[in-house]
Amino acid sequence: MRHRLAPLVLALVVIAFAASAASAPAAAPPLTIYAAASLTEVFKALDPAESYNFGGSNALETQIRNGAPADVFASAAPLNTQRLFKAGIVDKPVTFTANRLALIVPKSNPAGIRSIYDLRSKPVKLVVAAPAVPVGGYTLTVLRKMGLSGVLGKVVSRESDVKAVAGKVALGQADAGFVYVTDARPVSDHVTVVRIPAWAQPRVRYEIAVVSQSPNKAAAQAWIRMVLSAKGQAALRNAGFLPVPKSST
Amino acid sequence: MTAQLSRRSLLGVAAGGIAFAAVGVRPARGATDDELAYANFGLAAAYLGADYYARALKGAKQTGAGRTLRSGRSASLAQASALSDLITGAGDTPAATEDFEFTWPRSAFASAVGTRKTGFGVLRPTLAAYQSAAASVTMASYRVLFASLAASVAQQIGALGGPSEAAAPFPPALDLEAASAALESYLG
Repeated sequence: MRHRLAPLVLALVVIAFAASAASAPAAAPPLTIYAAASLTEVFKALDPAESYNFGGSNALETQIRNGAPADVFASAAPLNTQRLFKAGIVDKPVTFTANRLALIVPKSNPAGIRSIYDLRSKPVKLVVAAPAVPVGGYTLTVLRKMGLSGVLGKVVSRESDVKAVAGKVALGQADAGFVYVTDARPVSDHVTVVRIPAWAQPRVRYEIAVVSQSPNKAAAQAWIRMVLSAKGQAALRNAGFLPVPKSST
Repeated sequence: MTAQLSRRSLLGVAAGGIAFAAVGVRPARGATDDELAYANFGLAAAYLGADYYARALKGAKQTGAGRTLRSGRSASLAQASALSDLITGAGDTPAATEDFEFTWPRSAFASAVGTRKTGFGVLRPTLAAYQSAAASVTMASYRVLFASLAASVAQQIGALGGPSEAAAPFPPALDLEAASAALESYLG
């Protein structure tokens, strides 16, 4: 008896398994998130399941404008998201975090830079981001605010995003470079941070938006809600980003 | 502090605010790097001063000190307005007070003496920077503005410190780097 029932039990098990597999929801495809290079570490840590394209916000803006298949765009400057919003390419952006700038020098500090004012008096190989890249524009603001625009004559390289600036200084290919404070952290073994005074800091605000033509709009909106949630904001703060100022909400 | 804040010093602080507010700052896109740098630093210092007076006021209650602190706050806000105008006139975007997270030592406002000492810690480097600004800027209207700002801050120092402070010599002029370093711990 026991022997005769065995094939039947096995068949029932196989049918039940197949039925449960068929009724399980298909795994959602990962979202494609275009984000400022400075968000690389924090976004990957926050949600490693999505597909990311990190780079200079200006370059990402151009790619999205030309039809790149992004679901979400997170920019290091409102200018990039707002331009796409005005063109109807992204939904209304929201500010989700803020940042500050810092000057970094190699640990060996061959130029002997202790203060940002040393850039004026010492021979320095300075690396900055290109002016169209948000961090490059913010760098110009800092230098203008401090009366140090003259040090732009010491720039030896203009990079396409902030990670490239940090990399060059970390490798000792430049004596100093302007980055976000959050980009100094991943290379902290190789660089020393020189503080920029609070009164000279630019207003660095990050915006995020759903790409209007995204086929995954509901998921993209949910992802943005996650970034704005307590969990997302805590991850950003832990990475050194600043909370959204009240005036920006 | 109350006893040392006379009616005369109170009027002095108020007058300081009015004096530079009346200075015509010619909007100029040709402002030099140095002029803008002093203006940006001064704007932050003015917001810091306004925050200082607001916090000091909370501990002052309804005393003569309270009235003087209110006048000092008005003068700081008027300074901020004048400097914002200068920066805007030069085609830049001035900072707003929301751009700063002012940081005060725990004991900064714990007593009248502590409050006064904190005020000196803010106002003296500011005055020292304005002295340098007045000496170094090239445009006449900016020089007048920075001289007026220096005078206003000096009046505030006198009002906070009473007769002994009013008779004290001006602090030595500081360049922007040194003045900035002196205020950095407050500016956050």
